[in-house]
Amino acid sequence: MSPLIGRAVPRVDGHAKVTGGARYAADTHVPGVTYGTLATSTIARGTITTIDTTLAQAVPGVIAVFTHLTMPRLVTPPSPYPKGFVPLQDATIHHNGQPVAYVVAQTLEQAQEAAALIDVRYHAEPAKVAIDDAPGEEFLPPPGPEGPQEFVHGDPAAGLANAHKKVDATYSSPVHHHNPIETSATVAVWDGDQLTLHESTQSISLTQQIVAQALSVPQNTIRVLTPFLGGGFGSKAPVWPHTLLTAAVARQLRKPVKLVLTRAQMYTSSGHRAEFRQQVTVGAAKDGTLTAIVNISNQQLSRTEQRVFNTSESSWMVYGCPNIHAKQLGVRLDLPTPHFMRSPEGPALVGLEMALDELSYELGMDPVALRLKNYTDLNPENGQKIGNQNLPECLKLAGDAFGWSRRNPTPRSMRDGNELIGWGMATEAHSYHARASSAWVQIDTDGHALARCGTQDIGTGTYTVMTQVTAEALGMPMNSVRFELGDTNFPAAGFSAASVTVSSVSGSVDKAARAARDAVIALAVADPHSPLHGAAPDRIVTEHGFLFLTDDRTRRDSYQGVVSRHGKPVEATGSFLNVPGYTTGASFIEVRVDPWLGRVRVTRAVAAYDIGRVMNHRTARSQVLGGMIWGVGYALTEHTMIDRHTARIVNPNLSGYLVPVNADAPKIEAFFVDKPDPTSPVGAKGFGEAPITGVPAAISNAIYHATGRRIRDLPITQDKLL
Amino acid sequence: MKNFEYARANNPADAVRLVGDRPGATFIAGGTDLLNLMKDGAQTHDRIVDVNGLALTDISHGNGFLRVGALARMADVGAHRAVREKFPVVSQALLASASPQVRNMASIGGNLLQRTRCGYFRDTGSACNKRIPGSGCPAIDGENRGHAVLGVSDHCIAAHPSDLAVSLIAVDAVVLTNGPHGERRIPFGDFHLAPGDTPERENVLTHGELIVGLELPLTPAAAKSQYLKLRDRATFEFAVVSVAAALDLRGRTVNDVRLAFGGIATKPWRSTDAEAVLRGRALDTATIDAAGRAAVHGAIPRAHNAFKIDLVQRALSRVLHELGGVR
Repeated sequence: MSPLIGRAVPRVDGHAKVTGGARYAADTHVPGVTYGTLATSTIARGTITTIDTTLAQAVPGVIAVFTHLTMPRLVTPPSPYPKGFVPLQDATIHHNGQPVAYVVAQTLEQAQEAAALIDVRYHAEPAKVAIDDAPGEEFLPPPGPEGPQEFVHGDPAAGLANAHKKVDATYSSPVHHHNPIETSATVAVWDGDQLTLHESTQSISLTQQIVAQALSVPQNTIRVLTPFLGGGFGSKAPVWPHTLLTAAVARQLRKPVKLVLTRAQMYTSSGHRAEFRQQVTVGAAKDGTLTAIVNISNQQLSRTEQRVFNTSESSWMVYGCPNIHAKQLGVRLDLPTPHFMRSPEGPALVGLEMALDELSYELGMDPVALRLKNYTDLNPENGQKIGNQNLPECLKLAGDAFGWSRRNPTPRSMRDGNELIGWGMATEAHSYHARASSAWVQIDTDGHALARCGTQDIGTGTYTVMTQVTAEALGMPMNSVRFELGDTNFPAAGFSAASVTVSSVSGSVDKAARAARDAVIALAVADPHSPLHGAAPDRIVTEHGFLFLTDDRTRRDSYQGVVSRHGKPVEATGSFLNVPGYTTGASFIEVRVDPWLGRVRVTRAVAAYDIGRVMNHRTARSQVLGGMIWGVGYALTEHTMIDRHTARIVNPNLSGYLVPVNADAPKIEAFFVDKPDPTSPVGAKGFGEAPITGVPAAISNAIYHATGRRIRDLPITQDKLL
Repeated sequence: MKNFEYARANNPADAVRLVGDRPGATFIAGGTDLLNLMKDGAQTHDRIVDVNGLALTDISHGNGFLRVGALARMADVGAHRAVREKFPVVSQALLASASPQVRNMASIGGNLLQRTRCGYFRDTGSACNKRIPGSGCPAIDGENRGHAVLGVSDHCIAAHPSDLAVSLIAVDAVVLTNGPHGERRIPFGDFHLAPGDTPERENVLTHGELIVGLELPLTPAAAKSQYLKLRDRATFEFAVVSVAAALDLRGRTVNDVRLAFGGIATKPWRSTDAEAVLRGRALDTATIDAAGRAAVHGAIPRAHNAFKIDLVQRALSRVLHELGGVR
């Protein structure tokens, strides 16, 4: 029997999702639920002088209007709560769109009407909105969870001085927003001192922890449920104020409260990718050997949080270079706190991969050859292997499929009618963290298995892949296995972010399933009624729901037979802490540019990755499709526009913020090296965020090849190519 | 969103009365723009009069013109054979608009009344002279990449968003209405208003006046017409700039021409100056370039939209070269 792991199994939750059977947080029906709505600030910086809720409270159906004067007092949770403050606790305004009142009413419409009638007066102070508004105010923030903000290796100045060729350029990208289709929702239901939260979160455990801290209640009095998530991309990885406020309001009113953020509120309530600017200087010897990489970046921080979310690991992880200097500066602006956005390692890599393309032209060297010359598998911080040994195979797989060897490097060398054609490439790279997880597996007397883990499926396919892992470890068909997640009553797992879910959770699920299988084998060999009675356990295999003796396949039993004779279900648990690692790959892009009109189309994309053993070729490919298409948005269309005077976001919706549509998506081919990672029981590496990290650079590099125009400021809109 | 009353009209007179009676009332057809505006709080109404039951969906031939009912859907008009053959610019403009889902819902009459995509207009937390007269225009010194360079005033620089309207002004369409004061025929060029000092007034309709249809005169120029829309993504996006051109060539000489533009002006923008440059002349690159310069004469660029002045001339040049077979 061919292994289940790897097979392109369709999503086990697919039918429920396309028929409306999947219940998301906002779909939760709770008897007697009331509706919450936020009123938000229209200034970015200052204080509330007066707030009049008279008209709002007079709207029929309104139950309560909470302001900073009347809101229950909450504790500001420590990191990783990313906001630095809880709104509605005092009169200070830290950013435009900050909650200034929380209205609860019998219906949503009543709550919305009341929220619009709240009269807030402010003492406003001038706001700084963009990096350009605060020249000279950048500073080196203190070390964060990822370590210090400055990394020096060797002698970068000497490395640059000794370079045969150098590139020194500044690359920039604007504020971006995550835009999951499901806007964030919370339904808070108190039963005595027990709280149930139906939540749209990438981390049920963290939600439980942070809400407990904010409300000063024991963590075990809170249950968080997230059976389905309509996308998160980092925006739902942390816990944001709207969840804390909803839990507090529901407790105060002794009524269940449902809050669903509007699309516009998502733009100020759940993080964004910070405006980013980096000066990248790279030098190389005549043969292309890198002599120095210097990456000095600056990014937006908020007034209340100084954590750096666009990180520069790629400056020292991908390429072996004796002289490296990376420095992550930040500047405080009057904007909401930024956060991780798939991928936080992308922005820095985009600049590096564009600079390497420029360097390849300076050297007269093929861009792929330049990468092959310099890639490394050693982390200069500690000399340890990082898992980048298969980058050459990725470059070959994708490059051959793309036809890269036929490329004439001269800009403007390919034309078709009105259009110039360009080919560009970039390395893609992302680290994945270590996260502890545990799982529970039960085999019932009917021979079916149930597996549970307090992880999340953020749309990437956790339900499906973990069903495969469980079924394969047990030796059962997929349809005998049910996998459940998204409940803090289940054994705990980490957040579904930082590309860590599969590499972490697969380990504990595999261990729990193998322990359950071993327990059933032990029952079988001890059972006089079993054909396997008396056999050595290590000579029994399990396949398709049956147990066989390896050297005499006529001696067999079944899970159903063994467990039903046992008379009660067999249970087991497993725990696992994965080894963190690095996942790399390469993307190759074809663009067509109409130079007269500045119009760019991405027409072809080929990518290859080393993701360890592929768990499911279908969901892995989906991950590539999403990353590629989002990379098109990053390179060409996406840009959160913020008014420089008021700090209000001018396009907080899917009409004004342009994510790519189907017509923007190129033909995409995805390849995988598909070699098991030895540190994982099932061979998996973390993968989720790797595809996208290099795509914007590959597109920009392709545009240069097409037109001879090097655009270093994203997005590359048509006005920049006229 | 505030609660409102819903009424369904059985005939045009009924519809006109139901809206005319109540200052806060408005018509609803496809609702693809109105509902968003109401949800965003950019527009409030205490009565919505549903006109979808009216028999105004026909596309029919008259004597020298095509008549299009106001409630015909964008998708149906865009795909209609007579529209494709006799008014290609109109069909192309419709099919370049919005998404298939929106085109299936949205009516022709409603399309002409859609409101600007200016982010300040649609955000109740921002000032906007169009939404609250006298509150100010943050776009003039703000995020104005999408805004107009022609037909602007000190009160408003919001671009008109309709592709269809740009194509209709290029084929000399006539708007047919039925209102409290009877029926009217409004030449398309007179229908929309530049903002001036009353940016809240976007057209000449009076309260309760219902668009019932359009007349599209059959002309040689309309039959040889083209729409080019440039935008920031491949589809489902409003124009950065657009060009509608209708051209009647006799040999190489321009006998008649209509040139209209979208994305660059506060209303569907016809340039008679640019047309005058071409009329009676041989169509070549030099005259095309001169027409482009005439089209943008008097344009007022802002911090982020100056490129439109260049881009629209390039777009016009592309269209006229293609339409006129100029190499």
